Amino acid sequence: MSVLRPLDKLPGLNTATILLVGTEDVLLQQLAEAMLKEDCTSELKVHLAKSLPLPSNVNRPRIDLIVFVVNLHSKHSLRNVEESLHHVDAAFFLGKVSFLATGAGRESHCSIHRNTVMKLAHTYRSPLLFCDLEIEDFRATMAQRLVRMLQICAGHVPSVSALNLLSLLQNSENPSLEDL
Amino acid sequence: METQSEEQAAAEAADSRGEGEPLQVAGAQAARPEDRMALLLRVRAQTKQQLLEYKSMVDANEEKTPEQIMQEKQIEVKIEELEKEIEEAKIAFEMKKLALDRMQLSSALKKHVEKINTKTSVLMDNMKQILSLNKSVMKSQQETRDLEDKLLDVRKKRLQLKQASERKLLEIQTEKNKQKDDLGSMENSGKIKTIQQNLEMEIQITTVIQHVFQNLILGSKANWAEDSALKETVLQLEKNLTMIQ
Repeated sequence: MSVLRPLDKLPGLNTATILLVGTEDVLLQQLAEAMLKEDCTSELKVHLAKSLPLPSNVNRPRIDLIVFVVNLHSKHSLRNVEESLHHVDAAFFLGKVSFLATGAGRESHCSIHRNTVMKLAHTYRSPLLFCDLEIEDFRATMAQRLVRMLQICAGHVPSVSALNLLSLLQNSENPSLEDL
Repeated sequence: METQSEEQAAAEAADSRGEGEPLQVAGAQAARPEDRMALLLRVRAQTKQQLLEYKSMVDANEEKTPEQIMQEKQIEVKIEELEKEIEEAKIAFEMKKLALDRMQLSSALKKHVEKINTKTSVLMDNMKQILSLNKSVMKSQQETRDLEDKLLDVRKKRLQLKQASERKLLEIQTEKNKQKDDLGSMENSGKIKTIQQNLEMEIQITTVIQHVFQNLILGSKANWAEDSALKETVLQLEKNLTMIQ
């Protein structure tokens, strides 16, 4: 399958799967470990990928949340993410996709402007999170956030759906984006 | 982009209590059936939510999407309308939930109040404190309102004074303008002209009479240089009386 579709498989019992896509192997690995350390009542499965499309020969569970990690220090990661976005079905963007920008702390090393990433997130109507994945405390906080988001997107939180979460997140973002 | 390295960091963080995995047997066995119950209930809630999601996706797919290619602006406008509808539905739901909660709370409170001894309970103390706080709040609000009224009065007075001074200045200005106009009109009025003409005529008549006298004196061949009055009359020929203007 060259295009990722949400809800194309049945979910596993009490299981939530997140897919982290990005070129920074070390950072993704560390983020994955931080997420798995989190206290969570559901089973977590973290998949890492450099880019999409994923090879179709592997039997993998239903993916509940995709996080595209962009490193603001390298244009290559942005291009990688942009090309991977083509392999994601449109239905995913109803709250099951999120963008994560790392490396914003060191302004001097940033070759991608913040606004580029913000526009990208705005085009795809998905939430954009900023986090310096190199710093452990921020990484732990972001891992907590992602675990909560994942639980909601997997349907483990009653009465909150992914779309619900999306509209909740968007209302606070949009006023600033209209100034762009 | 084809180079895949999908690593399944498949660390199944089995935070599973009661999934049948080996727990510490010592003393923890009593907790297992309760954990199993908790897990079952959780899984039930999850399954409900997931079922809801799948159902809504199926319903969404059944809706016919318009085939014609709409312009981007129109699509964005439509999206905003739909989002507004979602927001309104959410708000209505929240309001209903609030109302329901309030009703439940008030009925529970009623039942509780019927049971307790009204003099000594903590609830009554709380309510009394709430009442006293409310009273003080209302008092301060009343004070605020009074102060605001006073401020408003002062402002009104200031405005009135300003308006009065404006009017006075305006009056002064109109008076000044009237004076100027009067002066200007007076100079052009007919009365002055006639007076001026009369004056001129009188002057001419006087000049003629003077000339007549002078010629009389000269013609009478009298010696006018000796008599000072005659001298004066003759020498007045020099003065041109018509130049009085």
